[in-house]
Amino acid sequence: MASAELRQIRRRISSVQATKKITRAMELIAASRIVKAQARVRQATPYVEKLVEVIRNVSRATGGASHLLLERRPVRTVGVVVVSSDRGLAGSYNANVIRLAEANMIDHRRRGAEVVLYVVGKKAQTYFRFRGWQIERAFLGVTDTPGYGDARAVANLVMDAFATGEVDAVEVYYTRFVSALNQLATRMELLPISPPEDGEEAAAIAYSYEPSPEEILNRILPRYVEAGLFGALLESSASEHASRQRAMKAATDNANELVKVLTRIANQARQAEITTEIAEIVGGAEALTGSYE
Amino acid sequence: MARNFQVDVVSPEGTIWSGEATFLVARTTEGEIGVLADHEPLMAALATGVVSVEDPEGRRTSIGVHGGFLQVVSNQVTLITDRARIAEGGREEAAQVAARLAEIEPEADA
Repeated sequence: MASAELRQIRRRISSVQATKKITRAMELIAASRIVKAQARVRQATPYVEKLVEVIRNVSRATGGASHLLLERRPVRTVGVVVVSSDRGLAGSYNANVIRLAEANMIDHRRRGAEVVLYVVGKKAQTYFRFRGWQIERAFLGVTDTPGYGDARAVANLVMDAFATGEVDAVEVYYTRFVSALNQLATRMELLPISPPEDGEEAAAIAYSYEPSPEEILNRILPRYVEAGLFGALLESSASEHASRQRAMKAATDNANELVKVLTRIANQARQAEITTEIAEIVGGAEALTGSYE
Repeated sequence: MARNFQVDVVSPEGTIWSGEATFLVARTTEGEIGVLADHEPLMAALATGVVSVEDPEGRRTSIGVHGGFLQVVSNQVTLITDRARIAEGGREEAAQVAARLAEIEPEADA
């Protein structure tokens, strides 16, 4: 019977509308988080700039710095840090960064280098475990709003591994926040540190150092690694929210479209039902008048 | 006459304090150091302790700091630190804040 079909369509409409409410809410939440995440990226910039400035000045004063974290050696083992999200529904955000990382990891293996894998975020953990990569360490629950302590935890781990020779280089795969519409999966070489380039040849300032320049460099280089990682986490977080907002906006638009189409089908079904009913009544009446004659 | 210089206290989470100051005291790894205007260029590593800044109106701000760096160049003082917090209650509270900051260790969450 036609009314059963109609009922089914109406049920689908209300289900799509319920889904739409959820995706719309997620879209709005993500949108408000982007603003916050972007602000945090901006707030971290002065710190990093000052660090770079100090490192530049100090390495100039020490005449070509040498430090364990600056040491380049033949790469037999590569530490790989992949920054993903804990939750899905963020479009191609996770897929892009994971794909880039895995391609490079396979490349390393082909060249005969071992890969030690550190992951941030549940999505990368699940993926790489499924693909049979051994995960050295996973950091979960940090990508939504990464704190500096999270960056420090990851940085300490990879710096230790680098210092003990467990790994000869560390690279980070994260998603750069280019703009609200454009996020780019990116590879960053974290260790060994490539000293910041001497930009403009500013006259070296004759600082007095307390304690020695070497000691200051010893203390500041680990901070530089932490800051680099912190930046990567913040950018990834902003990118995640932007991707999610776009994905959820698309989902909401699709739901609207679907409701439109389903409503049309429902109207058609209703019309068909009415037509059938009228035809039945007219038919019945005809039959009755016929019998009286 | 007390002259002013610019002070910025920056951390990865944002700028903690910024403004004009007439006097600044910080604790470096070697000992306490006071900075007035026209101090010579200096680069120092900070220890755990209190940084006090006095602004031109004579108000004192105490900041608890654990580690970081102090840079002085041409009346620009920059404190670069990843652990610092302003203490409202003066020096004693700032010292406590610094001690608490020193205890924070990267908690290992697997």
